[in-house]
Amino acid sequence: MLTTEERERYDRQIMIRGIGEEGQEKLKQAKVVVAGSGGLGSPASIYLAAAGVGTIRMIDHDRVELSNLNRQILHWDKDIGRNKVDSAAEKLSQLNRSVKIEAVEETIDEVNISRLVAGFDLIVDAMDNLPTRYLLNKAAIDNHIPFIHGAVYGLEGRVMTIIPGKTACLRCVYRGLIPEEKFPVIGVTPAVIGCIQATEVIKYIVGIGKLLTDRLLVYDGLNMKFTELVVKRDPNCEHCGHLKGKG
Amino acid sequence: MSVKVDIPSYLQPYTNNTEVVEVNGSTVGECINHLIKQFPTMKKMLFAKNGRLHSYVGIYINGEDAYPDELAKPIEEGDALYILYIIGGG
Repeated sequence: MLTTEERERYDRQIMIRGIGEEGQEKLKQAKVVVAGSGGLGSPASIYLAAAGVGTIRMIDHDRVELSNLNRQILHWDKDIGRNKVDSAAEKLSQLNRSVKIEAVEETIDEVNISRLVAGFDLIVDAMDNLPTRYLLNKAAIDNHIPFIHGAVYGLEGRVMTIIPGKTACLRCVYRGLIPEEKFPVIGVTPAVIGCIQATEVIKYIVGIGKLLTDRLLVYDGLNMKFTELVVKRDPNCEHCGHLKGKG
Repeated sequence: MSVKVDIPSYLQPYTNNTEVVEVNGSTVGECINHLIKQFPTMKKMLFAKNGRLHSYVGIYINGEDAYPDELAKPIEEGDALYILYIIGGG
């Protein structure tokens, strides 16, 4: 049940056709993991907190560095040297005190990943490397948790929503690893991609609109162009190939 | 067949910053070979030493994933190819 204060806080989005008080209540009850508190995790979690997603678990093992501040907008000058998840939790709690923010300072690995996502409704991929993205994808598939992929490079970004067993997963689309490298990026790129990821989360929780499933959205900020690529489930996919469902 | 190949920004340094390259061929493989003929340094970006596409390269025909056997897929006049290169930043 929404409180009087919540009705006022979320008044403008409750007005949106398809959300209403019922949708707002769904957001309040929702539990979302944001894996990564950096460039993508910052905008994604800010807009999820602002929208009233009830529980947000921020996972990151890094500390804030000066070179993060051009894009990781949850972290400010005063936070340099601090744990990213503590810095993130402080800002998100100040933005919306009615949202429960869980700060988890851990490195996501094969051993802890199932525990870290257990009981959550959605996982947002806000990582900065492919191996962890693949771990998250597999955990999402194994635990039947929808997974919102996002990635950036320079002024380019990608987004895709994965519903385990029903739509193409990240491994159906990306079949390899690129060599680890320091990647170029400016804050506006993860801002765009993180906001699209948050939009997908909100739509899924409320149950409105058409999700970005079986489609990879490619954002080209340099030419201000969005390209949609049609992707399909790979029956031999090493992560989701064993699941039944449309192929 | 004349085909346009959309080059992702990641690979544009290897095509003299050209975003769209016009190529000829009746299969994806022939089109990619023609692309490499125009921009030889693209070869190492697209192909592994065993002659196969790198596992992190995807080919899309008119916006649809051409996997598997991408290089053997036929091409028709006016088709558009898109090269998808994995990115992992966040």
